[in-house]
Amino acid sequence: MPVLEGASPDATVVEGKPSQAHQSAKRESDRLREPRPEIWFRRRVGLVAALKEFWAFRELTFTLAERELRVRYKQAVLGVAWAVIGPVVMMVAFTVLFNRFAKVNTGGAPYALFSYLGLLPWTFFSNSVSNGGLSLVSNNELLNKLYCPREVFPIAVIADSVVDLAIAACVLALLFPITGFAPKVEAYYLPLFLAVMLIFTLGVTLAVSAVVVYARDLRLVLPLAIQVGLFVTPVVYGTGSISSSKAFLIAFSAINPLVPVIDGMRATILNGHAPDWLSLGVGTVAALLYLLGGFKLFKRLETGMADIA
Amino acid sequence: MRDGTILAEEIWKRFRLDERPTYLQDRLAVTRDRLRGEKGESWRWALRDVALRAEPGESWALVGANGAGKSTLLKIISRVMYQTAGKLEMAGRVGALIEVRAGLTPLLTGRENIFLTGSIMGLRRREVARRFDEIVEFAELERAVDRQVKYYSSGMQMRLGFSVAAHLQPDILLVDEVLAVGDASFQQRCLDQIRKVLSDGTTLLFVSHDLAAVEASCSNGIWLHNGEVRTMGPIRDVLSAYRGAVEGDAKSRAGIEGLIKVTQAEAVSPDGGLAKTGAQLDVNMTLHTDEPYRAWIYLGVTEGAATPIFLLNPGRETILEPGETQVRCSVPSLPLPAGKYYIWCGVYRNWTQGEELIGWQPLTEFEVYGPELDAAPRAVVRLSPLHVDAGWEIETAA
Repeated sequence: MPVLEGASPDATVVEGKPSQAHQSAKRESDRLREPRPEIWFRRRVGLVAALKEFWAFRELTFTLAERELRVRYKQAVLGVAWAVIGPVVMMVAFTVLFNRFAKVNTGGAPYALFSYLGLLPWTFFSNSVSNGGLSLVSNNELLNKLYCPREVFPIAVIADSVVDLAIAACVLALLFPITGFAPKVEAYYLPLFLAVMLIFTLGVTLAVSAVVVYARDLRLVLPLAIQVGLFVTPVVYGTGSISSSKAFLIAFSAINPLVPVIDGMRATILNGHAPDWLSLGVGTVAALLYLLGGFKLFKRLETGMADIA
Repeated sequence: MRDGTILAEEIWKRFRLDERPTYLQDRLAVTRDRLRGEKGESWRWALRDVALRAEPGESWALVGANGAGKSTLLKIISRVMYQTAGKLEMAGRVGALIEVRAGLTPLLTGRENIFLTGSIMGLRRREVARRFDEIVEFAELERAVDRQVKYYSSGMQMRLGFSVAAHLQPDILLVDEVLAVGDASFQQRCLDQIRKVLSDGTTLLFVSHDLAAVEASCSNGIWLHNGEVRTMGPIRDVLSAYRGAVEGDAKSRAGIEGLIKVTQAEAVSPDGGLAKTGAQLDVNMTLHTDEPYRAWIYLGVTEGAATPIFLLNPGRETILEPGETQVRCSVPSLPLPAGKYYIWCGVYRNWTQGEELIGWQPLTEFEVYGPELDAAPRAVVRLSPLHVDAGWEIETAA
C-alpha cells in the first residue's frame, strides 16, 4: 500500500491548515482527482456465495415475512379472510360472466373450479410481483441503515404469498363438494406445477423489485402490467381455446411459464390426464432462465441501491 | 484477521450530483448520452482516498463538519453502501446504530423489534432471547416493550435502538450521532455501556459532534473535511486540530464590526511571554467606539468551540467613552493544563436583556505550557480540561 499523506494509518498528525495559496491550487487539482483505475470497486457475487449468504440470513427472512403478516392481519379486522376474498370474488365474477356470455371449454369440469384453479397461481404470482416489486422501496428505512442481502425483502414477500396461497387453497375443499365434482388421482402431479410457479415468480419478482428502485415511476405501470398479464395467462380461458397448434403452445409456455402450470393443474386435477410434458418442460426451462436472469440483474443492481434509495 | 479488525485502504465514494429519486426518463437519458459517447452523469465525491486501520478493541472517533463524509464512511463500513473504489476488509459481526431509531419498525412492538434487529445482525433467536431482559432493562422500557414502537417517545425509541445494538455483542460497533436525543443520565449510561463494550474487545467507530463525549470514549480520531482525511491520530491531537479549525472558521465569519470594535487583543504572561499553568495570565485588548456606552464585558476561555471552559467578567458595568479603551484582565493562577486555547469575547449593553455591542466571538488564541492533562480512568467523563493544584495526605488508620 502506498503511503498517502494524511491518510496512512501510521502517519503522524498532519497539520490541519495548509497555506492559502497552496489550498486553492490543491482544490483545483482535487476536482480533477480520481481514484487510480486499478482500485475501482467491482462487486462480484457468485451464485454459491449468494446462496450461502442468503441461508445465513434465513432467520431475517422469516422475521420479515412474519412482520409483514402480523402487520397485515393486525390492522385488518377480517384477518385471514383477505387472502380468500380476492380469488373467490374473481371466481364468482368470472363464473357468472362466462357461464352466461361465453362458453369456455373446461373439459367437462365446472367452470367455477376451472377458473379457481387458474386464479390460485395467478393471484400468487400477481401478489408476489406487485408487493414484492415494491418491497425494496418500501423498506427504504431498513435498507439504508442495516446490512443484509437485499433479496430477503422480496423473498419474504413471496413467503407471505405462499401463506396466502395455502389459505386460499382451502376454499377448494369447499368448492369440490359444492359443485359435486371430485378431484382426480392425477392431483399428485401438483408439487411439480407449484415448483415451476415458484421459480418463475421468484425470477420476475427479483427483477421487478430491483428495477423499481432505479426507476420509481415503474411502480405506476406495474398494476397495469399485471392487469394485462391476467389476460395473457390462461386464467379465465384454457390455452386450448386460443389455438390447438403445438408450436403456439410451446412459444406461449416459453414466454409465460404460468401457461403449462395452469393448464397442467386443470388437466391433472380436473380431467385426470397426465401433464403435457413438452410444454411443461419448456416452461420449466423458461422459468429457470427467468430466475437466473432475475437474480443476475438483482445482484448487479443491488450494489448501488443504498446510494439512491 | 481477528474479529473486530477493519482494514480500509484508499476508499473513494461518489454520488450522483442530483439526488432526486430516479425515474425512467432519467435512466433513458443517461443511456442515450452514453450511446452518443457523451459523459452521461455528473458526480460528487463524498469520500476521497480515506484509509483506516482499526484493530480489535480500538476506539475511533470521526469528527468533522456536516457533510464531511462521516456517515458515508460508516455506511460503507457497515456494508449498507459500497465504495466506488478502494479496498475494505473486515472480520466479525457489525452492529450499526446509524441515526436514531435505526431499523425500528413503528408498527411492531418493542419485543418484536428486538428480535428483528437481532436477526438482522445475524443472531439466532435464542441468542437474542438470552439477552432480552438485559436489553429491556437498559432501555428502561418496562411494560412498554409490548406496545407498538410508533407510540414510543423519541427518547424511548433511541434508548431501545442503542440498547439493542450495544447489547448484542457485535465485534464492530458503529454509532452515528444518536446520543443527542437522550437525557443527560441516559447519555452517561450510554457512554458507560460503550466503554464496557470496548473492554470486551469490540471495535468502536463513533461519530458525534459532542466533542466531550468523543474525547471521553475514544482513544483515536479521524478528522474528515470535505471527504478527505485532514488529521488522524491520538484523539487529543485530532480534536485540538479540529477545534482550531472551527475557531478559525468562527473568526472569519464573525467580522469584528459591531457597534464597538476590538482593535487589538492578546493573551500573554505578564512578562509578555507564553502562558504557563499556575502562573499569571493577562488578557489585553483595545476597544474602539464612536459613541459612549455603558457595557458589560465578558471574556471566555475555550478549546475552540463557542462553549467556554470558564467565563470572566468585571462584575459591574463599564463606561466606554468615545475613542480607545484599554482593557486588561489578569488571572493570577491559570488553571489550564498544557494545550491550545482561545479567548472569546462578548460585550453587551444591558446585563439582563443582553443587547449586543460585540457578539460572542473568538478574539485570539494562546498556548499554555505546563503539565499535561492527567489521563482520566476509562469510566470517567471529564467535561473540560482544568488543572487544579492540590495537596494530598494519605495515612493508613492505625
